[in-house]
Amino acid sequence: MIQPQTLLNVADNSGARELMCIRIIGASNRRYAHIGDVIVAVIKEAVPNMPLERSEVVRAVIVRTCKELKRDNGMIIRYDDNAAVVIDQEGNPKGTRVFGAIARELRQLNFTKIVSLAPEVL
Amino acid sequence: MDAYSGLVSHSLPCPPFSSLPCLSFSRIHARNRFLGELEHLGHGGLNVSLRTTNLSGSLRGSSTFTRMALGSNVSEDTDDMFDDLFEKYGKVVFKRNDQKPPSAEVDDDAESLSFAVAVAKVASDVKAADIRVLFVKPLVYWTRFFIIATAFSRPQIDAIGTKIKDLAEKQYGKVASGDSKPNSWTLLDFGDVVVHIFLPQQRDLYNLEEFYANATAIELAF
Repeated sequence: MIQPQTLLNVADNSGARELMCIRIIGASNRRYAHIGDVIVAVIKEAVPNMPLERSEVVRAVIVRTCKELKRDNGMIIRYDDNAAVVIDQEGNPKGTRVFGAIARELRQLNFTKIVSLAPEVL
Repeated sequence: MDAYSGLVSHSLPCPPFSSLPCLSFSRIHARNRFLGELEHLGHGGLNVSLRTTNLSGSLRGSSTFTRMALGSNVSEDTDDMFDDLFEKYGKVVFKRNDQKPPSAEVDDDAESLSFAVAVAKVASDVKAADIRVLFVKPLVYWTRFFIIATAFSRPQIDAIGTKIKDLAEKQYGKVASGDSKPNSWTLLDFGDVVVHIFLPQQRDLYNLEEFYANATAIELAF
């Protein structure tokens, strides 16, 4: 359940460390974003000497949420943190590697690039 | 634990697994069970305590070390024990009913391989460079083959993508998901076969071959 003002960790090596959601993309008046949704976010903390800087506005895909993700077969997945992967306008990830486990739902939502960079898919 | 270590057998530095759900729990659980078994076995007191400190130290350390430690000296004992226990009491109580027999798996692999080679052939016809076909099924469960190719301009990427889509639709009846427009990294997802078409710069940047270095490369005739 990501909404504007939510802080998210960054699950890639793009150079951002922490993001704050400022808008959910997809509908005009949507309240919450879940795994696989694209958000507009601002970088609150960044790694020094990397292309991305603090207070830059970027797009990101949510890859992990503390809120449970339910599957049709009854499986429930919940992570310890909220995390996102920074993408550009074309949908390519800005980092070159994704960290941690991600859910296979991202592949159905056409984020196969992120899935193929991830070390583990649940 | 074995299943878990099998899942992350890529050739990459170990990512932060703190966010992995239920992992910490399962580790602790495994440890308790393991300690219980050690005591049950009736090793010498000194031996047991020494192993305990080793194990708890490794549990506090990084997850790579934990896996290595578990894999090196402990797994032989426990594996034998589990085998014995399984022979005594074990029976399969639940099995997924969508699992195929090994022969069907081999057939599927062969079919995907022929499709992957056909796609690579089409890409080479449209002058894509440095085509690699990787058998990634042992590394990731979600697909069987990766095809990685370089194109030198967006129109060329478009041409390669369209040709591949045409071939897949006409001869194999598969429809691609993924990028519809040419992109600096264009991805076509056919389910069992995933095609990556890069511009040279992006290919160096993302370096997928290195990430999937443990995958076996398929030799191409052209």
